[in-house]
Amino acid sequence: MDVYEALFPAASLSSCCDYNPYHCHPLFCFSTGINLSECFHLLQLQYKTLKVIGAEFGTSVLSYFIFLKWLLTFNIFSFLINFGFLTIPQFLAAEPNNLSFTGLELLTGAGYFQQTVLYYGFYTNATISKIKNGPSYNMQLAYIFTVGLYFVICFLILLFSMAKSFCRNFINPQAHSGNASKLLCTWDFNITNEKAVKLKQKNLSTQIKVQSTGGTKSLLVKALSFVLFFFLFKLFVKGHRNDLESQAAMLVLPVVTSLLNAFIPFFYSWLGRLERFHTPGQHIYVTIARNIILKISIVGILCYYWLNVVAVSESQCWETLVGQDIYRLIVVDFLFCLLGSFFGEFLRRIIGTTVCVNLGLPEFDIGRNVLDLIYAQTLTWIGILFSPLMPGIQIISFSIVFCVKKVSLMKNCQPPRKVWRTAQMTTSFMFLLFFPSFLGVLSVIGVTVWRLKPSEECGPFRGLSSMYAAVSEWIEILENYTASKWVVWIYHNLITSELFFFILSTSILIIAYLYWQIIEGRKIMIKHLHKQIINGGKDKMFLLEKLRTLQMAKQTPSAPGGQGQQVSLIV
Amino acid sequence: MEKAVLEKTHLAPQLVPLDYTHKPDVTLPYELIGSMPELKDNPFRQRIAEVFSEGGDGNMTLDDFLDMFSVLSEMAPRDLKAYYAFKIYDFNNDDYICKSDLEKTVNKLTRNELTPEEVNLVCEKVIYEADVDNDGKLSLEDFQHMIIRAPDFLSTFHIRI
Repeated sequence: MDVYEALFPAASLSSCCDYNPYHCHPLFCFSTGINLSECFHLLQLQYKTLKVIGAEFGTSVLSYFIFLKWLLTFNIFSFLINFGFLTIPQFLAAEPNNLSFTGLELLTGAGYFQQTVLYYGFYTNATISKIKNGPSYNMQLAYIFTVGLYFVICFLILLFSMAKSFCRNFINPQAHSGNASKLLCTWDFNITNEKAVKLKQKNLSTQIKVQSTGGTKSLLVKALSFVLFFFLFKLFVKGHRNDLESQAAMLVLPVVTSLLNAFIPFFYSWLGRLERFHTPGQHIYVTIARNIILKISIVGILCYYWLNVVAVSESQCWETLVGQDIYRLIVVDFLFCLLGSFFGEFLRRIIGTTVCVNLGLPEFDIGRNVLDLIYAQTLTWIGILFSPLMPGIQIISFSIVFCVKKVSLMKNCQPPRKVWRTAQMTTSFMFLLFFPSFLGVLSVIGVTVWRLKPSEECGPFRGLSSMYAAVSEWIEILENYTASKWVVWIYHNLITSELFFFILSTSILIIAYLYWQIIEGRKIMIKHLHKQIINGGKDKMFLLEKLRTLQMAKQTPSAPGGQGQQVSLIV
Repeated sequence: MEKAVLEKTHLAPQLVPLDYTHKPDVTLPYELIGSMPELKDNPFRQRIAEVFSEGGDGNMTLDDFLDMFSVLSEMAPRDLKAYYAFKIYDFNNDDYICKSDLEKTVNKLTRNELTPEEVNLVCEKVIYEADVDNDGKLSLEDFQHMIIRAPDFLSTFHIRI
């Protein structure tokens, strides 16, 4: 390969679309509706911000901001789909809103907002047509197909991002302890701040000096965690009995949830310090795992409550109630995030520099912040079915969080002392987003669409036995038209047919097994080739020795008649 | 590329001509390169400048300058980065990273805070782990083999301008 061809690849040095899958998505340019040059200017600003963060704090903290930016782009995409296909047609058939607007609605989501396009209950079940005998828009089908297609697209995007990330970053996790790569491959050339460089050098020398110690983990902590979740469950079951009454009581559930989310992780960190771990890395992983379990249980309990208690209660429009609950959870969680930034970073810096100087500046807690983002995104995904404009609220929330966290980071925090294996952590974040978060949401939505009875008086599915019944009824109507017989055939033989899914699953399992066996075979091949290289090296040394001895023998005066000896060596 | 040229102009406006159509022969001295904000705190700045300069002395022409930032950008493929990282760590330019090269690297990475015994121990561990063909030093192949197992390498061996 010509060196100059290698040095000047076809793409330019711009930031827009590059190796890193989390960098600005091309959709971002078109989706905000502003022209390309303004868009480019905004991207340049973001690029500069990211560069400054990476320069001062390194790639590990930068990965959090890149993840946040990726989620923001994702939400913009979600918002546009829902807005375009559901809200705009609904505006054409909107009923007038007789409620008055007080400021409290921004916090509680109830009141004036109840009769707006924000919630499921406002959407009509009719077929909208403005022009007589013109094209009509079936809101029922539009709702279920938009939401369905959106989740399918999300699934594919997440699956491919995760697979690409795995492919690049998770090669050989069981490799050697990695001292060599730690020394030669992990110096962060991004860092351009003198203090950060000195700190990193000090960390590296400390790491090399420190020996690891052994330790044990106690089962007591596991038991304590289970007790905690039981207690949580009881609290929720008790707490929501009175949330249908006054506006202030509506906020009890979200505030309690956010308080639990905020304070229990501190409890876990404190517990983690009491226990002894083999390596500092294990401490981080265990703390993050506990936080994940906490968040999964909170979301699980909330979903159980919504689907089994609210949905079967006799309230008028349960989907709107669930939507409002999610709205309040998201808003209060956002406020707590800002408060957390204020107390956790700003006040901690004040304390660390004036009152208690040996504490020092706070560090940016990457794991916890990323889990908060994943939790917020999970709530948004659950909320899309009950409130199509939820991604819009999340866009505003994420944008403000980005700015606040950036400012707080620059002013209050110091670069991280621990070494983060950034590529593996980034892949783990994507995996966490996909596996418990997205698949959990899919199961909740699945149960809602297939099993629950929609409310009688509101929403696009009023009067049906389940939301999915809209599709079955549509297929029955299509059976009467010969032109669409193929759609009916696909529906009956591929989508609702168990045999088809059985065959599909079996083939996928067989293919996965074959690929797994190929990988095992290749691992054995790698071992053989490794041995071959070592043996090749030994052969080379042996031949060089032989050459040296023969050359020395040739140089020293040999016995008469010894000239003319031809030495041929096969190399 | 335009950014890199602009950067160079900011560094030394009196030296850099604005018209490159006739390929003028301008060389920036190492002192200017080493004082760039992206490089001034990097412990390897001298080696970076030496590796990318034509004469190996740290004075770079425009082509060298562009090569440097091209290799250190996000676009450059892993093999190219591994090749240049290897050359940067190879202090005595003998196409092998031997023990003395590793000792210099460790000292640069830790600001000479380790004792000679510790440095020795680290270098021996590194060679033991990474030396595949058992010749006591790291060749380019050994280094590339190690890079494959370090997924962070692509993002850390990278300078944004």
